[in-house]
Amino acid sequence: MSLPLHLRSYREKSKDELTRDFFNVPLQASLPGPSDPPFVVKMRERPYRSGQEELQSMDINAVISVEGKEEVYAGRLSLLPPFLCFISLDRKSCRCTIPLYTIRRVERLNSRAGVFALSLATWHGMRIILQLTSLLPTAEHFAILLRDALKSQLAAMKQLKPFLPSLYSEYLLSSPVSSAAGQQQTNDHLLLGTELNEKAGNVGTEAESDLRGPGGEGKGIYQRGLGEQFGFPGDARKMRERSKMKLWREYFMIHGRNLTLLRYPPFQRLLQVGLPSRLRGELWEVMSGSVYLRFANPETYGLLLSQNAGKSSQSTDEIEKDLNRSLPEYKAYQTEEGLARLRRVLVAYSFRNPELGYCQALNIVVAGLLIYMSEEQAFWLLEVLCDRILPGYYSPSMEGTLLDQRVFESLVHRCLPMIQEHFVSVDVQISVASLPWFLSLYINSMPLIFAFRIVDCVLAMGVKVLFQIGLAVLKINGEALLEVTDDGMFINLMRSYFATIGDSAHPDHPDPRVRAITNFQELLVVAFREFNVITDETITAERKRLRAIISDEIEKFSKRAAVRNLKNIGKFSKDQIGIIYDHYFSAICSPEAGPSTYSGNAQPLSGDQFDQPRIQVDAQGRVETRIDHRTFRVFISQIATWAREETVTTNAFIQRTDRRVADHELIDRLFFAWDSQDQGTLALQDVVLGLNRVMTAGLMESIEWFFELHDKDKDGFLTKDEVIQLSESLLFIFRNEPGDIYLAAVSKFILNAYEFGDATAPEGSVDERIPIDGDKETASGARERSNSSAGPHNLPYLNLATFRMVVLADELLENFFANDLTASFQLEQTGDEDYHQAHQRSEGLLGGLMNLVVTNENKNRLNRLADGFGAALGKHAEWRKPALSKTIEPSTSGDLRARESLLTPAQQAGQFQRQRSSSAVSQTSTKTVESTTTVGTPDEKRSLADVEARYREESQMVKAAQEAVMHRPNFAIDAIGDSDDEEGAEGEGEEDVMDEVEAFLKAHGDDDSGLKGEQKKVAEDLLKAEPMGRYQGKKKESADLVDL
Amino acid sequence: MSEETPVKAVQVKLVLLGEAAVGKSSLVLRFCQGDFNENTSPTIGAAFLTQKCRLENRIVKFEIWDTAGQERFHSLAPMYYRNAQAAVVVYDITKAASLEKAKAWVKELQRQANANIVIALVGNKLDLVSDTSSTPAPPASAESPAEDEEDSSEEPSSTPSPAENESDDARQVSTAEAEAYAKESGLLFFEASAKTGHNVGEIFTEIAKTIPFDTISPKPTTSQSANRRSGANNGENNNVNLGEGQQAKKGGCC
Repeated sequence: MSLPLHLRSYREKSKDELTRDFFNVPLQASLPGPSDPPFVVKMRERPYRSGQEELQSMDINAVISVEGKEEVYAGRLSLLPPFLCFISLDRKSCRCTIPLYTIRRVERLNSRAGVFALSLATWHGMRIILQLTSLLPTAEHFAILLRDALKSQLAAMKQLKPFLPSLYSEYLLSSPVSSAAGQQQTNDHLLLGTELNEKAGNVGTEAESDLRGPGGEGKGIYQRGLGEQFGFPGDARKMRERSKMKLWREYFMIHGRNLTLLRYPPFQRLLQVGLPSRLRGELWEVMSGSVYLRFANPETYGLLLSQNAGKSSQSTDEIEKDLNRSLPEYKAYQTEEGLARLRRVLVAYSFRNPELGYCQALNIVVAGLLIYMSEEQAFWLLEVLCDRILPGYYSPSMEGTLLDQRVFESLVHRCLPMIQEHFVSVDVQISVASLPWFLSLYINSMPLIFAFRIVDCVLAMGVKVLFQIGLAVLKINGEALLEVTDDGMFINLMRSYFATIGDSAHPDHPDPRVRAITNFQELLVVAFREFNVITDETITAERKRLRAIISDEIEKFSKRAAVRNLKNIGKFSKDQIGIIYDHYFSAICSPEAGPSTYSGNAQPLSGDQFDQPRIQVDAQGRVETRIDHRTFRVFISQIATWAREETVTTNAFIQRTDRRVADHELIDRLFFAWDSQDQGTLALQDVVLGLNRVMTAGLMESIEWFFELHDKDKDGFLTKDEVIQLSESLLFIFRNEPGDIYLAAVSKFILNAYEFGDATAPEGSVDERIPIDGDKETASGARERSNSSAGPHNLPYLNLATFRMVVLADELLENFFANDLTASFQLEQTGDEDYHQAHQRSEGLLGGLMNLVVTNENKNRLNRLADGFGAALGKHAEWRKPALSKTIEPSTSGDLRARESLLTPAQQAGQFQRQRSSSAVSQTSTKTVESTTTVGTPDEKRSLADVEARYREESQMVKAAQEAVMHRPNFAIDAIGDSDDEEGAEGEGEEDVMDEVEAFLKAHGDDDSGLKGEQKKVAEDLLKAEPMGRYQGKKKESADLVDL
Repeated sequence: MSEETPVKAVQVKLVLLGEAAVGKSSLVLRFCQGDFNENTSPTIGAAFLTQKCRLENRIVKFEIWDTAGQERFHSLAPMYYRNAQAAVVVYDITKAASLEKAKAWVKELQRQANANIVIALVGNKLDLVSDTSSTPAPPASAESPAEDEEDSSEEPSSTPSPAENESDDARQVSTAEAEAYAKESGLLFFEASAKTGHNVGEIFTEIAKTIPFDTISPKPTTSQSANRRSGANNGENNNVNLGEGQQAKKGGCC
C-alpha cells in the first residue's frame, strides 16, 4: 500500500517556472548523474545554479530580426540562464529558445542614437539582431547579465562540437541538394496528393529512402530511430516526404536549425502538415526541449543502464510483461532488436525515477518514440513528457490523468453541452473512451501515421492539443454520439471513427480536391480552428479549479483501499480503522514529522535518511508506505493523551489548547514493540495491531502489555533497571496529573517492587535489600538509592506474576491499568475530510485577505495579544492538560470520583503550586501566569481600551475572512470566460493556417503580423550596422570555435 | 444481425478484475476468441470486448471490460465496474497473494458496485498444477499447441507439463480454501485454465444463468424486453461460443 502523500505537497508553479516551462527550458540545465540519488534530480525547489554563483534571470522588451528575413517582431526577451528566449507580442508568430552555448559572438551595434541593439552570431553563422527597447539603463543591465551568463557557458561550448553530428539536420544540410527533376515530380505529387491510411511496416527501399530525404542505414552518424532500419510507417510518396524535407531544409537555412531553431510562422504550417519521418525525432526533441537535457547530460543514459544492469524490480517485471504488447504490428517490435531498445529505455527511466517506475501506456508511448528517435533521445523526451508535458499522468496515483480527464469532461460540458447532457442522461462516462487518448497520446487509438502527427503538435504546442483533438473528435461525431446508450456503443463508435480516419471526409463531392480532404485533416481543422479557445491558460485554470476535488478523491480512495487491504483489523470497527488511517496519514504529512518529509514532488527513498516515511517493497513486490520513529511520535501524540503536551490557556476572552508532541523513551518503546518485523518502520497494519492490543485490553492484559513493553530481552523478567524505567514511564504518563497521589503511588510501587522482587527473584540476581524509609519516599530518592547499591542491575529480577501482584496492591495503579490506560488512547476525527478542498477554499482566490488574517503567524499574534490583555486584567492562566483526568470525564466510574473533583478549574492554580513544590520529577513544571512572552504586559500603563480596540479590530478581520470563506463565489469559471473572449478575438489569424494542401505550398510571410514602417527600417539598418564593442568573454572563445 | 432475426440480445456488462499477470486477458481471449486478436489492443485502463452466447431461451451479449491489472490503475476501476451486472475476479492459483488481492476486489465490489452484481471468483492457471484431489486437470492439450502458446503469453514458456508431478508444488491456493471463501461471500467459484480452455465457457454460462434478468431495468432501448421473450426462437446469427468450455470439459473428465 503506497499512500498518495505527494498530493498534499503540491503547489502551483511560480511565474518563473511557468516561463521556463513555456520556453521548454529545463529548471536545471545539468542534472546530477545517475550515481547521485535519483530523487535529488527531481526536486523543484532548487533554484537554477550554474557553477558557484547564481545567475540572474531578466525580462526585457525587445525587437527581433534575422539576417535574410524581412519580418521583424516586437516581443519579450527573457534571459533564463543558460538560455535566451523570445516570444512575440501576439504569443504565437515568433518564438525561440536559444541556448547560450550556441552563441559565438555578441556585439553591441553602433546605430542611431537611442537604440540599444545587440547582434548575436550563432555557431553556424546565423545573425540575430535584438533591439532592446526598454530604457537605456535597463538595457545595459540586461547586457551585463547576458555577458555573465555567456561567460558561464564557455565550458559547455566545447561540448557543442562532438554533439552536433548526432543531429539529423546537420547531416541533411551537409548533403547535396537532390536533383531538380526529382523536386518537380514531388511538387506535382504535393498538389494532388492525398493522404491515405497506409499500414505500417513498408520496408525502406532505396527508392523510398530517396523520397524521405538523404540518409538511411549506414549513412551519417546521426541518432536515428528504428524506422531507418525497419521502415517508417506510411507511404513516403503519399506523405510527400521529399517536398516536406525540401521545405524544412530551406527553413533551416534561414531560421537556424536544431539547437538554434527559431519558430517563425512557416514553422507552424510545416508542423501541421506532419513532420517528415527522418527529421521527426530531432524536431520532437527540439520542440519539447529534451534536446537540451540530452546535450547537458551526455553520460546519464549509458550510466543508468550500466549501473543497474542485471537488477530487477517490480517495474522491470512489469515492463517485461508489456514488451510484447507494445505496437506489435510494427515490424521492429517483432524482433529482438526492437524489443531490446524498448526494454532499455523503459528500464533506464524506471531506475531514474523509481517513484514513478513504470506505468502501462508508457510502453506504447516509448514504442512510438523509438520509431523516430534513438534510445537516448527517447529517454530524454520521456523525461520531459513525464515531468513537464504530462505531469502526474503516469505517477503511482495517476493524479494527473484523473485530473485531466475531469478537466476534459468540464470542457466538453462547456463546449459541447448537448453531448455532455446526453452522456449524463444515459450514464456513460466519456473517460472510458478518452482515457487512452490522453495516456497514450492517441498512439493507441488511431493509425500510427495520424497519431504521430498529433504527437508532433503536442510536443510543439503542449498538452492543450490533446484536449483540442479530443473535443474535435466528439464534435465531429456529435450526431452519432447522441444515439449512444451505453459504454459499448460509445467505444465501438469511436473505434470505427478512428479506423476510417484516413478516408475522405467528403467522398461524394464533385471536386476532387475536396474529396481529397481526409477525416484526419478535417479533425485537425476543427481542433485548431474551432477549439483554439482552449488555451494553456484554460487548462491551467481548470486544473487549478478541479485539483482539490481530485486530490480528495484520490486520498479517500486510497484510504478505502488501505483499510480494505488490512489483513487484520482486530476488534476495531471500519470507522475506527478509518480514524486510525487519518491519523497515520496526517502524521506523515505533519511538518513535525521532519522538514524533509515531502518537500519535492518525489518521495525520497534513500536509506540513510531516518526522518522520512519510507517506501518499501513488501513480500509481494508491492510498494508500501511506512512511518519512521519520528513520524510515529507525531502519530501517537494524536491518539494517546499522555503522548502530547497540551497547554490550556485561559484569558479574559478565550480558552485555547496548544498541542505539542511529547518525547519520552516510553514512546520509543512502543514503536519498537509494534515493529514486529524489526524493520525500523511501521506499516499501517503494525499500528492497527498495536493499538488493537492496548485499546481492547482488560486489567490483566494491560498489566501484561505494560510489562512486556519494558522487558527488553523478552525473557519474562524485568531487570532492576527495567523496573526503574517502567516507573519512569508511569511517571511520564502521570506527569501532568494534579495532586501528588500518582507520585505517591509510583513511589510505593517501586518500593513494593523491590521488596517482592528480592523475595521472588531468581538466585544470584538479588542484591542487598533496599531499606524502606517510609511511604513518603520519592521516586528520585528510590532511584538514587538503587543506583548507589552496587548490585547487578541487568539480571532478571521481577517476573510478570510478581509485577502483577505489586500493581494490584495499589488501588490507583489497578484503576490505571483497568481503565485509564486503555482510555488514554482515543480515536477522534482528525477533521481531514476534504482536506484539499478546504485548503483551496482557505488559500484560493480570496487568498490575499485570508492569508493576511488566518496564517498561523497571525493566529499566534492574536493569541499573544489576547494573552496580554488577559494578563493585564489579571485573568490569564495557563496549565498543562492532564493526560488521564481528561479521559475520566466521559467514563465517570464511581471509584474515580475523588480524582474527578481535582479537575475543577477553580482548584487548578493551587494544585499546580503544590505539585511543583512536591514534585522533583515532574520536569515540565507548569506556570500559573505567563507574563514574559506576551505583547501587552510590558507596557502596563497602556490603556485597556486601546488593547481592546486592537483586539476587536483583529477579531473582526478574522470574522470577515471566515464569512468570506463561507460565501466564496466561483471565480475560476468567470476567469476562464474572460480569457476565452480574449483568445477568440486574437485567434483569428490562425484560421488560414490550416487551409489544407494549398496552405502547405503558399509562400510564407505575406500575412504575418510582422512589424512595419519605422521599426522595420531600424531593424534593416541594424543588419548592416558595424559592431561597436564586443563582449570580451565571447570574443576570446570564438577563436576556439572557428573550426566548427 | 440479419433482418429476419427480431431477436436482440440481452446485454450484460461484465468487468474483469484481478492482480496483474493472473491471466485476465488470457481468459477473456479464450472466451472471445475469434472476435479478437491479442496483439492489437494493449490494456490501457481497460480493453473492451464483446461476445454473445446463447443460454436456454435467451441470447446474452457480454460487454466485457478487461481492466488493467497494474496497481496504479486501481483507482480507475470504478469507472469500469459501475453499472456492471457481473464481475469476474481472477486470481492465480499458483500465487497466494493474488487471492488476497482478489478478496480485496470482492470487498470493493460488494461495497461500491451495483447491489445486484453477480461476482465469480476464478482461480486461473489450473494447467500449472496437477491436483487430482480436487479438480482433475486436463491433460496437456496436444490438439492445439499453437493456440496454447498464444493464450498463455503471460506464463513462462518453460511451464512444466501439467502431467508431471513436480508441478504439484506450484499450487499455493487450495481449492477448498478458495471455495470456502467464495461460499461465505456468496460468489460463484471456478478453477479454470485459459491455456487449455478448461472451465472458461462455464464461467460465463453460469454467470448468465445467475443474473436476475427480470429485475434488470432495461436500457432505454424499448424493444429489448420484447426481444428477450422471443430470444429462444432464433440464435443462428449469434456467436454462441461455448465450444472451448465443452471441449475442455471432456478433457477434464478423462
